[in-house]
Amino acid sequence: MTTVPGAPSSKYMKTPNDSPLKVWFLAPLAIWLTVLFLLPLVFLLWIGFWRVENFQAVPDLSLGNYQEIFASFFSRSRYGLALVQSLWVAATTAVFAVVFSYVVALAIAFAVPARWQRLALLVAIAPFWSSYVLRLYSWQTILSRNGVINSILKQVGLSEYRIDIIYTQVATRIGLIHYLAPILIVILYVSILAIDRVLIEAARELGATRWQAFTRVILPLSRFGLMTAASFAVIVSLGDALSGNLLGGGAGASIIGKLPTYAGMIMSDYSSSTNLPRTSALATILIAVMVLTLAVGFVLADKARRRIG
Amino acid sequence: MTQKTSLESETSASATTTLSRRNFLRTTAAGAAATALGNFTIFSRQARAAEPLRVLCWPGYEERDVIGEFEDLYKTKVEFKIYIGGEQMLQFFAQTPPGTFDAIISDAEYVQKLKASKAIDAYKTDGFAELANYHPKFRDFSPTKGEAAGTVYGIPTRFSFYGISYNTDEMSAEEATDWNTLLDQKYAGKIGMFDWYLPNLGNASLAINPGNQTPYTISDDQLAKVKEFLTKLRPQIGMFGSSNQPIAQAMLAGDIVASPTGDLDIDLKLAGYDNFSSTIPKQGGIRWQEVACVCSASKNKDLALEWVKYMTSPKVQSKLVYTKAFKARGPNMKIVDYWDDEQKKLLSYVPDPQNPGKMLVETLIDRSMPRGLPTNQPEQAWIDIFNEFKTA
Repeated sequence: MTTVPGAPSSKYMKTPNDSPLKVWFLAPLAIWLTVLFLLPLVFLLWIGFWRVENFQAVPDLSLGNYQEIFASFFSRSRYGLALVQSLWVAATTAVFAVVFSYVVALAIAFAVPARWQRLALLVAIAPFWSSYVLRLYSWQTILSRNGVINSILKQVGLSEYRIDIIYTQVATRIGLIHYLAPILIVILYVSILAIDRVLIEAARELGATRWQAFTRVILPLSRFGLMTAASFAVIVSLGDALSGNLLGGGAGASIIGKLPTYAGMIMSDYSSSTNLPRTSALATILIAVMVLTLAVGFVLADKARRRIG
Repeated sequence: MTQKTSLESETSASATTTLSRRNFLRTTAAGAAATALGNFTIFSRQARAAEPLRVLCWPGYEERDVIGEFEDLYKTKVEFKIYIGGEQMLQFFAQTPPGTFDAIISDAEYVQKLKASKAIDAYKTDGFAELANYHPKFRDFSPTKGEAAGTVYGIPTRFSFYGISYNTDEMSAEEATDWNTLLDQKYAGKIGMFDWYLPNLGNASLAINPGNQTPYTISDDQLAKVKEFLTKLRPQIGMFGSSNQPIAQAMLAGDIVASPTGDLDIDLKLAGYDNFSSTIPKQGGIRWQEVACVCSASKNKDLALEWVKYMTSPKVQSKLVYTKAFKARGPNMKIVDYWDDEQKKLLSYVPDPQNPGKMLVETLIDRSMPRGLPTNQPEQAWIDIFNEFKTA
């Protein structure tokens, strides 16, 4: 800042960022997180340490629930097997959902004229406006033994090619992908939109083929969005019990075996026994796995961002 | 006249006056449940003014056809808090201040849990004239008997069975009379199962101990055989349903051909599909039954007892078990006087050709045992077996 001789010394201009009141603008966020996230989470974690006496939950600080659960993790109730099934289903769902959503997002970003892109995005996320349960029931009608697909195959004389995927984890994944895709498309479209088009044009002008421009410019610059989308997909898939129940049949087959998902087991345990503390402990274990997944996803996304930087 | 404030004001009062640990826990739990369950709107303001009777119950009891006459007769309003599932019932009860509810409709086996939490009182059965018309199996009150002679904790109001529901195009009536049919190789992957250990282990207990009147009171050796039976059954299971609806849907779609859930045929027949039926196998099957209980902290016990009495009448039961949303059966055998032939046929209140002089429903009641809780082993041991069966 230069000072004109003789002129009164100019005062430092304060911006809203310099105001001590600025911390108060964080209040809505803090309240939101505390009331709707932190308190319920702490309450859930706390109940996990309670015990049950005479069918009633009694406050305590006991590790009994965790000891019991881990003692039967791979025997008796075998929650561990259900957790392995969940991780397998969630990971594979995330891969398919991210690939599918990425293709759609790329198509919207590069193949649709700019003025139609918003409309295209709106159409792509249209399934999100309908009820998740309704969508699952629709898939049940489509995939079942006498469902839409098999009926069409029968009509055209291809009944020997009938599909038999209802009540398998393939069907669970279909339900989850249908649920996740609209959200992932938005995440990935935004991340693709942030890519500087000049870089792509430069690559093309320097002789890169379309494929090379994609693999050397677009894909590396989408990494952060891809990691974020994948983490989100894994976490949602791990916590979902509806698709596994309605399309996966509660204990649908996968290459691991006919096993329920962990979230399904929690639901079933909650409705089976008067043991909220045990159910809370089971849910806490799932949260721990989710936090771990999120941490891995965060580290990978951060690495991707640094590479981009 | 009783002085009863609304649940909301009671809850907030308990939070603001003495913030003891118990109050804090109760209030926090209620708040958490409100957030989690999202339907904690208990009673309407309008109804509150009339000092109503408050009932915690399964769906159906609140329908105007069922309760209207009682409200008119006693010039009162009955307010209902609806739950779905015994665990939810216990949660709702635990999260509300004592005295919130005057009466509870509970599954018979949950009476034991309500008793343990001192939620309900036993009452005398004197003066319940309609009990004379109850089927004898509902008059022995075995799961809900009080400690003193002539007292009960609950009187049955609605019931039905966990027999075998089956597609008649795929399974014969003869086959459906034997639990072992479910193990037949030709039904591999074609059986649907309700995802709850209690009825399934009860049915398996009867499959290995035919006719056992107390299928939930078995020795460890017998329990091991139950587990063996379930292990054999596992390859036959094509899907687990968290409620009747997904299982009925799977039967309709042809994904499964039978289910030890019972009664799925009623809704399917009403929807126009005649190729479904249900029965209770010859070894016996589990029966669920709802009972009317009176809350120990109620300040309106007399009216609550009048309501219980009202629920025993055949006319009321004929409507209760034939609501739009749900069909079941009533323990008062005079219920048939209020039904047309179609209703009687649908719910099996028709002569049983195999047992002259008896209605088909009576044969099924005779062959069924009430759902209970495990007595010789901890509940968790039975849940573990069911979980092991699911993950086998």
